Amino acid sequence: MTLNKALALINSRKGKSGDAIYYLACGFEPLHLTTLLRAHLLERLPDDKNVEVQCGVYGDLRGNIESAARRAATACAVVLEWSDLDPRLGLRSSGGWSNEAKADLIANCIERYTHLEAAIVALAARMPVALAPPSLPLPPIGNTIRAQSSVLELELEQQLAAFLLRMARVSGVRVVERSRISSAAAALDARMELIAGFPYTVPFASALAASLVDVLCQPAPKKGLITDLDGTLWSGIAGEIGVDAVSWSQEHHTQTHGLYQQMLGHLASCGVLLAACSKNEMTTAEAALARKDLFLNAGSLFPVCANWGPKSASVGRILETWNIAADAVVFIDDSPMELDEVERAYPGVTCLAFPGKDPAAVWNLLGRLRDLFGKPELMEEDRLRQSSIRVSAQVREMAADGGSAEFLRTLEGTVTLAWQVDKADKRPLELINKTNQFNLNGLRMGESEWQRLLERNDTIVAVVSYQDKFGPLGKIAVLVGSQAGRKVKVSHWVMSCRAFSRRVEHHMLDSLFRHCDAEEIAFAFAKTEKNQPLREFFAAAGIRSSDDGAWRISRKDFLSSCGVLPHATPDEA
Amino acid sequence: MNNIEEKVAGCFGSVFPGLGAEDLPQASEATVAAWDSVAQVTLLSAISEEFGLDFEFEDFERLVSYSLIVEYLESKLHHG
Repeated sequence: MTLNKALALINSRKGKSGDAIYYLACGFEPLHLTTLLRAHLLERLPDDKNVEVQCGVYGDLRGNIESAARRAATACAVVLEWSDLDPRLGLRSSGGWSNEAKADLIANCIERYTHLEAAIVALAARMPVALAPPSLPLPPIGNTIRAQSSVLELELEQQLAAFLLRMARVSGVRVVERSRISSAAAALDARMELIAGFPYTVPFASALAASLVDVLCQPAPKKGLITDLDGTLWSGIAGEIGVDAVSWSQEHHTQTHGLYQQMLGHLASCGVLLAACSKNEMTTAEAALARKDLFLNAGSLFPVCANWGPKSASVGRILETWNIAADAVVFIDDSPMELDEVERAYPGVTCLAFPGKDPAAVWNLLGRLRDLFGKPELMEEDRLRQSSIRVSAQVREMAADGGSAEFLRTLEGTVTLAWQVDKADKRPLELINKTNQFNLNGLRMGESEWQRLLERNDTIVAVVSYQDKFGPLGKIAVLVGSQAGRKVKVSHWVMSCRAFSRRVEHHMLDSLFRHCDAEEIAFAFAKTEKNQPLREFFAAAGIRSSDDGAWRISRKDFLSSCGVLPHATPDEA
Repeated sequence: MNNIEEKVAGCFGSVFPGLGAEDLPQASEATVAAWDSVAQVTLLSAISEEFGLDFEFEDFERLVSYSLIVEYLESKLHHG
């Protein structure tokens, strides 16, 4: 994006309301980076929204980070440069590059990293932080020619790598990938640095801004991947050449399929749901998947749909089993015809071709999958998702068969409500921001808004965990509200689709009435495109709209409608 | 308005969106309230991008009005 284009975009949004505030913390003059960051953010927002980018003062990165932590910003971009660690590593200093200065410089950087680390950790507790490592070249102070790395440079790089590693392990900190930005354009504009204190060329500043926005405004990750088998998971048609003849190895020149299998195994370990959809005999598919040399644990494919019907029908069954929306799913097949058929039936599904004969294209596909499924950090619930999905499908099936109440009691379930929320726990906010089906109103919330909400005295938050004889589901629901007298108003209520059909929602309301000694609960309900499951629960539980538009239920009505609840609710924290 | 003036006017419009076309000939650091040091760097950078040329350090101190900028560009592009 050019500077002129960025300015034009910003001017086109003048007067639009609903400013989101982002903070840019850097030690140089932010100048064009502010403009370009704002423009790239605007590109991600609806046309009627605006963005404000706030900045700090020149030459004080640490102070600016501390200042950001005191703001009510949505997120913060921290841009580190070598001169923030020691001014002698920039163009505007005259501190000298003698050997004594170099030793002092190394020591100085260590101390500066310690201070920055403390400031960034405190900031990340308040809002998401994108941390961009230095992009500018070091001054030419090595004793070697430029083609040869000097010990000093390597030592500085080592310090930096250790710092970034520590930062990447801090919840809420997202380190910007360095080589991707630096390959986009030459970074240093020496003239502008000396004239105005802004060190970047405009093309580089635009690439940096785009990367910061990519990292801060990540789309919701996909949840499930449905893969074809013949020609995709392996090379060859198992039904024709036999299950022992299909291949996925370097030896058979079919390594692209082996890479794909390894990628699926990696995604499964990150909590991505996997299923197979193949035009095949079930016995053939099962026999091929039983091969011991598969790079993927075949047990992580659930369900496996192998039949001769349209693939869209199999995809439909898989979506039903997983109980997730089509737009959270990726479908991969080597046949353009099958991709087209599924895409027509489920326009929300991301359909991708498997280009098995083209190694470069397969490599790009694996990168694309990383982007589609990647998330800022993994949680315990991601690990549990794979194992719980089979049980959840069984529970739904058996509950639907009519034996609901008795069956649920046999699960020996425990619903635990935590009323004291750990502010550093990212899971409640993740649930609020990614749950669609059992969602009171579809309202999303930023990290800083969440933190402010937790600090209010009248806020009630319940984070709900569930486990039964099949194992834990982890934290699966969140309810947020406020209390005035014996009336509770619920502003957010979400529950993971993995916990459906267990009457966890009934337990939550029952506990809320008891915990708050409430007579009535009102809900800030709004219909969304996807919250049909919540609406069905409201109808069944007798939660109805009042004359004033609010949705309410009294304690008496709730108790008379909910019956005996099936699970244990241990002493609530 | 010639081609240079049109392009400069476009850059002024981007950096000072409140400035009317009729105010351009008199526009300067002294008459436009929003024309501070940051706006000066942004304006000359936008013009630099538009015309594909680099400004010297002195230019940032000297080119402080619409007419001076147009005059400079005409001289640079037609004779430089």
